[in-house]
Amino acid sequence: MASTGAPEVILRYDHEQDRDQFTELFARDFTVRPFATDAAALAFLTQASIAPAAIIILPRHPNEHVDSALLAEARDRHPRLLKILLGETIALNLLVSMLDTQLIDRCFEQPANPDLIRSHILTAALTPTATPPSRLSQTVVGDYKPAVLIVDDEPTATRYLARQLERLQGEFRVLCAVNAQDALLRISEEGDSIAVVMTDQRMPGVQGKELLDELRQSHPAIVRILTSAWGEVDVALDAVNEGRIFRYQKKPWQAGDLLTLFRKALNHHHALVAARDSSRCEAERHFAELRQQRHARLIEALSAPLEQVIHGPVMADFLDALARIRTLPANASHLRASRETHLEQELVRGFANTVRQQLALLTMPPNRGPLHPSELESALAEMATDDPVASEGDQPPLAMFCRSLATLLAASGLDHRHLVLDRADGSLRLETTAPLKMYSHLLAPLTRLSRPLLEQQTALLMLHLTSRLLAGELTLEGGEQSYWVTLQFSATASRWG
Amino acid sequence: MSELRRVRLYVTVGQRLLRDSLLFQILLHDDVELVGESETGVDTLNRLNLARPGVLLIEENLRDNDGLTIAESALSVHPSLSVLLISDTPVSSARMAIYLEAGIKAVVSKDQPIQELIKTLFYIRNGQVYVGNWQQPPASAPAALEAYQGLSGREREVAQLMARRVPVREIAGQLGVSCKTVHSYKDRIFVKLGFERLPELILFMQRHHHGAAA
Repeated sequence: MASTGAPEVILRYDHEQDRDQFTELFARDFTVRPFATDAAALAFLTQASIAPAAIIILPRHPNEHVDSALLAEARDRHPRLLKILLGETIALNLLVSMLDTQLIDRCFEQPANPDLIRSHILTAALTPTATPPSRLSQTVVGDYKPAVLIVDDEPTATRYLARQLERLQGEFRVLCAVNAQDALLRISEEGDSIAVVMTDQRMPGVQGKELLDELRQSHPAIVRILTSAWGEVDVALDAVNEGRIFRYQKKPWQAGDLLTLFRKALNHHHALVAARDSSRCEAERHFAELRQQRHARLIEALSAPLEQVIHGPVMADFLDALARIRTLPANASHLRASRETHLEQELVRGFANTVRQQLALLTMPPNRGPLHPSELESALAEMATDDPVASEGDQPPLAMFCRSLATLLAASGLDHRHLVLDRADGSLRLETTAPLKMYSHLLAPLTRLSRPLLEQQTALLMLHLTSRLLAGELTLEGGEQSYWVTLQFSATASRWG
Repeated sequence: MSELRRVRLYVTVGQRLLRDSLLFQILLHDDVELVGESETGVDTLNRLNLARPGVLLIEENLRDNDGLTIAESALSVHPSLSVLLISDTPVSSARMAIYLEAGIKAVVSKDQPIQELIKTLFYIRNGQVYVGNWQQPPASAPAALEAYQGLSGREREVAQLMARRVPVREIAGQLGVSCKTVHSYKDRIFVKLGFERLPELILFMQRHHHGAAA
């Protein structure tokens, strides 16, 4: 992880002119280590204490690197090191075979776009363990037998191949689709049982490469294979560099070759799924610890100032209520933010400061009688005309209650019109007609401390506090990134705290 | 151009002036289609399903929520959405890593020129991650200024007249050349300066009016 200083890049060149050109282009972005021989580069790589971000092969004859010992060492010993081949012309056969042996990760024909090369290297340097964002819902397949989906606009040939493959083995099912839309439909029907997609490039409508681009994002664990009879190098290069395809399979297909290919692809799929699941578990486990520490720090920082206003475990109750609002699961970005930035300390400090500012505004009128329903009604009616941010002066509990509620409504895209006040059986009940939204909170995985987050969290705490001061009972029902609040006053028992 | 290739753009920027300015520039490119815009994060999430954008351009500091939190939420439902985040300040390496791990495709800060934002928008349109040389301070003399000094005398003359919005026919008359020749000067000027459109040239010439471009 090169979070300080420029990422280090090994450059294996054949011509000094190429070396100079590369170094000049990227001197501002990387620390370039140029080597004229594999042996010298290997020696450097072996003794490097921290693996470089990338290795660039800039050869006179790309074919000479088909069995490069340097690339093999990089592949076997430093799996996160990005291996890039830059060539005057790249033959499709070379690309296909280097993809098979996994000796290269990216491949560009010269003149290559320096923006893209820089971006690939910086991305690899910044996120050596990047995992795709996890989806909210996962389809669970009970009787699991993985499937390979073949997408081609020649259904007769595809179906014949599918039957052949099904006869040859019992490990996976073979499904067919006639175009990209059909493929996406099959994938949504089959859920996570589709492990491998092999698609033809040239099809009416959406092309194979575009389908694979889409799948890379929506279903990152599906192994992607592009196939074509046309041998278009530019498409193959784009599919490798942008689509991160597993293999490029030339047509015509042989059932035997495909069987071997699909078995490898299935193994790769299982490895991807295992890596994804274990990184999710890891992230959740680590975040659970962080959450506990955060919980303890928040209680410690705020219990005393709240205790001065009202007796009782307001802060603990508030945090319990928050914990019922479900947010997105933790991932690497949240862990990094908590560990490598000052997020955790700033969160507690920032929240405590905002809460103290609010507490300083809170005034306690002496000896008030019960809260009359009309008082609440007129206070709520004032919300319609009030700018909550503008009213900065001292506030009795009812005013602060309304102001906090207005903040929370606004954060959910709602306003006073979404409130209903119900008078029945001598009690007063206030609720919202739509759920309030909360995408993140004090106990959720966070990437950053933002002003709206602090304001809304403070508002929800003040809502808890002021409803107690008004002798009301606040209940919070948590949902998926949302919650419902209900406030109930029993008319007879209402007293100022 | 097939359906997956066109940029279906959704823009979430709080301030109208900034949003309009960005859109005026972005929509000059005819393969971009604006499918929705919002001032707030909540509104964005409410409308994303119907708008089905391919790219979400979203400010980090929104009035109602953190832009990145909104983007993460959008991505959990629409994983193939490409998110371009606009940050108020330049981004550190540690922050950039956090953004990328959160599934953001690119970050452009408000300190960067509009051309950088548009370039980034096109790089990420198919779901690619794009990291520019975001930490590098701008070179001492902007590239365009250096390029301007490399223009021939005639090219500079044409550039100055064009920047004053003198029509091609009049430029041709003033210089005693054909319209076709003026057009080929114009093409050369644009290529050399790295511009695509007249407004860029006008802005450049006005900005450097008292400097080397005068």
